[in-house]
Amino acid sequence: MTDSPNSEAAGPFDIREFTRTAQGNFRADLDLTSYEAHPLDAETLELVRYLSRLEAATMEHLRNLLVTATHKDARVTAFLVTWAFEKFWMADALDAVLGAHGLDRTRNVDEGPPRTGADEAIQRSGPIRRAIAAVGLGAPIVATHMTLGLVDEWILRAAYDHLRATTDSPALRDTIGRIQIIKQRHEAFFADETEWRLSDSKRAARQTRAALATAAWPIGGVERAAADRDRFEAFVFSGSDGSARADDIGRRVASLPGMDARIGQTTAKKLTP
Amino acid sequence: MAFDIDKYAAGSERLGWDDLDLEHFRENPLSPETLRTLRYMADVEYHTVCYTRDLLTTPSHKDGEISTFMTMWNREEFWHGEALGAVLAVHGITVDYDALRASRLKLGWRDRLDPIKQSMLGKIVGSDFVAVHMSWGAANEWSAVSAYKRMADLETDPVLGELLRRIAKQETRHVAFYVSQARERLLKSKRAQKLTRLLLSKFWAPVGSSIMERDDVQFVFGQIMGGVEGRKEMKKLDNNIASLPGMQGLTIFEKALDGLGVAA
Repeated sequence: MTDSPNSEAAGPFDIREFTRTAQGNFRADLDLTSYEAHPLDAETLELVRYLSRLEAATMEHLRNLLVTATHKDARVTAFLVTWAFEKFWMADALDAVLGAHGLDRTRNVDEGPPRTGADEAIQRSGPIRRAIAAVGLGAPIVATHMTLGLVDEWILRAAYDHLRATTDSPALRDTIGRIQIIKQRHEAFFADETEWRLSDSKRAARQTRAALATAAWPIGGVERAAADRDRFEAFVFSGSDGSARADDIGRRVASLPGMDARIGQTTAKKLTP
Repeated sequence: MAFDIDKYAAGSERLGWDDLDLEHFRENPLSPETLRTLRYMADVEYHTVCYTRDLLTTPSHKDGEISTFMTMWNREEFWHGEALGAVLAVHGITVDYDALRASRLKLGWRDRLDPIKQSMLGKIVGSDFVAVHMSWGAANEWSAVSAYKRMADLETDPVLGELLRRIAKQETRHVAFYVSQARERLLKSKRAQKLTRLLLSKFWAPVGSSIMERDDVQFVFGQIMGGVEGRKEMKKLDNNIASLPGMQGLTIFEKALDGLGVAA
């Protein structure tokens, strides 16, 4: 198997160690010259572009978390500060791959129009509505945010795994490998926090089930271009292999404390095109 | 000079103090007054992420340069908190995540409503509000540089002096970002100038005012900005603000210090 390992059973997450050893710029370690002789195909480049957008969208995501009680939890904010820093440099590494193909950095490339379906309308609400909505939710919303973060990591892991398994470029495989090492610690933190917070509070579990029922994936997806989302879903979750990957994520959701098979199936269904 | 955001991001590092002998404070402890001010500074630094939240609820989060800056800035300020926390820890004062959480919980309703208020305001005046935030940030970072430098000068302890100067050096880069952003945005829009002037003169308060108790604010600013030298520094800060487009004649620092009853 080429799939990356699970990091859930790794014991309590050491937040101090994580903040101290954050991975910054690693552009210099990337093999970018090999793309001259062996460029990636257009479809792969579009996927890399989209992954770069997803990794770079930390401030959009933070905006939605920080207007709620999540910002009061200093351990979580210490994580998020470092997480945003690491994701910035992962997006930069993906931009470096695009740059090696003569393409502009993601920040300067316009994004297409987003989806407009009614089923995701609630996810499009801005910070005002989110702040007002969160006033009544209190501390359990941190559990919800941690769960959404964890599921998002699972989805991106499936995407990176699949891209790594299917590309014929050793350079891209290496870059993805580097990125996945960094992401393992993010997943481990979210897994740790999700586990105890959902076990700790029935209310947290109830609110999280409700949030999963209306979630749009990956996190921040509602702000992304419809065409990019279509391509991503087709690449990672279409066909029988793809729906097996979606079902696998669904099963993991179902096995979280306070979740059930139904919410797992709902999540899997949202992933498949 | 335009601020080179790529260069800043590439050079952004967490503050280092491994080479400084913090154990030296066990033999030469800092005064309770100094520790109180350091505690204040550590709290403010750790709360930067809360300030980011207020920025993010306005249109500024859509700007690539601003979000790049905020990513690095947040982390640098977090490490300033960690560095000051390490000095306090040697003195038996813990600024741990639980303590921080407790002080954030104390913020209560006012804090809950703040992002809502900010965001409404942000929507109403659109991108002009980003100019307000950048000017506000400039005022805060200018005063942070002053505060750290003043502390470093007032303190005779060489280890603390060095640590404070290192922090001040990073804060100087933050000033450069906010000032270049503020200047550019204010120059583009008279409306932004008017709005910024109005909000700065009516609502600006020294860094930390919204999260700390009033007597802490009075104590810290009395220590740093009191006396003849302190007032000189204050004048410098007001001149800095007044040099931004449309801000001529503003004396927000003088007004704030007078309001706090800091002796000249």
